[in-house]
Amino acid sequence: MTSLVTANGVTKRFKDVVAVDDVSFEIEKGRILGLIGPNGAGKTTLLKAILGLTDCEGQLSVLGLDPFKQRKQLMQQISFIADVAVLPRWIKVEQLLDFVEATHPNYSRGKSEELLKRTKIMKKSKVRELSKGMVTQLHLSIIAAIDAKLLILDEPTLGLDIIFRKEFYADLLADYFDEERTILVTTHQVEEIENILTDIMFINDGRILLEAAMDDLSSTYTELATSGANAATARGFGPIAENQLFGQTIYLFEGVDREKLKPLGDTRTPSVADLFVAKVKGAKK
Amino acid sequence: MDPKWNEDQPIYRQLRDRVVAMILEGALGDGDALPSVRNVAAEYRLNPLTVLKGYQELVDEGLVEKKRGRGMFVNEGARSQLLKDERQRFLEKEWPKVVETIDRLGLDAGELLTQVKPSEEQGDDND
Repeated sequence: MTSLVTANGVTKRFKDVVAVDDVSFEIEKGRILGLIGPNGAGKTTLLKAILGLTDCEGQLSVLGLDPFKQRKQLMQQISFIADVAVLPRWIKVEQLLDFVEATHPNYSRGKSEELLKRTKIMKKSKVRELSKGMVTQLHLSIIAAIDAKLLILDEPTLGLDIIFRKEFYADLLADYFDEERTILVTTHQVEEIENILTDIMFINDGRILLEAAMDDLSSTYTELATSGANAATARGFGPIAENQLFGQTIYLFEGVDREKLKPLGDTRTPSVADLFVAKVKGAKK
Repeated sequence: MDPKWNEDQPIYRQLRDRVVAMILEGALGDGDALPSVRNVAAEYRLNPLTVLKGYQELVDEGLVEKKRGRGMFVNEGARSQLLKDERQRFLEKEWPKVVETIDRLGLDAGELLTQVKPSEEQGDDND
């Protein structure tokens, strides 16, 4: 079994609102999947379903378990950092480590302490005395010391300055990730993580707009910068998005052979951010 | 410092080119270790598979060798092999264009040689 998460027709309704609408996907071991969507797209609801924090319709299997019914077993094998790193403000760092050590079977306190030594965080400090970036570092030092197969990060760097955001992902790759582990991450700052990801999934209005391996994007999507008569020819291939800039037209194509586009201008693989905007706009039409 | 990736080539390819440049410049010598995949991934915030793919290109080209559990090392003679390839490429791809330009501009060999004198004496230290 290499598939860590399998979702089949997962749906979550809140009264008359469908937050997650018939979603199916798989996440394999050793991957870093970016779940990307605007606010209210259903990202957090989907993560909650994976974590067993909410029930849902359809089939959902995480590490071979039913997350809602077998939540306790599941929690021993996965880690989670929520929206904003929320840790109790009154707790001391060492108390927090005591607590995790007492409650989590797969936690290595020594590793946490080793990671904390590299930061300015003192063991006697209370969470309230730490800066936001330090709270995130503290959180990561605990997460990285838990031997979890799946790590779920929901907007982990929200509200952090650029230095801490970069450090967070650097630490994540240096101290946490290996081929035995899998990360599912949501973020608004796609540009920051697109080189880290192996897979992306776009979600909007509760539906999946795109699910692809990063390596496959270049064979499906092409961005073409062109002008004049070539622009008219290119248009004939049916771009999914277009943009005018300084007399140049930028087209985005889906499923059009790049070799056919090359004679018409400069081609390249679009950025995840551009692709996302095109897909969301396209879905609204 | 963050490297600037261009969008025209896959990152693993740019990574490969960077290592090649370092070997050519002598920053990485024969037998030197390449930085670990994990370090490069963390430092540049890249997926480790991307780094591995770039390194694999170098292995396939015979420039770098993977030693089990110890990492990647520059092969003996990697630099001279690269120089040989670069010279070959220059002679085949670039030199004909240069010759064409020289012809078009009506320059003669003597005139050109007076321009390159200063660097000529220290020119070839590689063979």
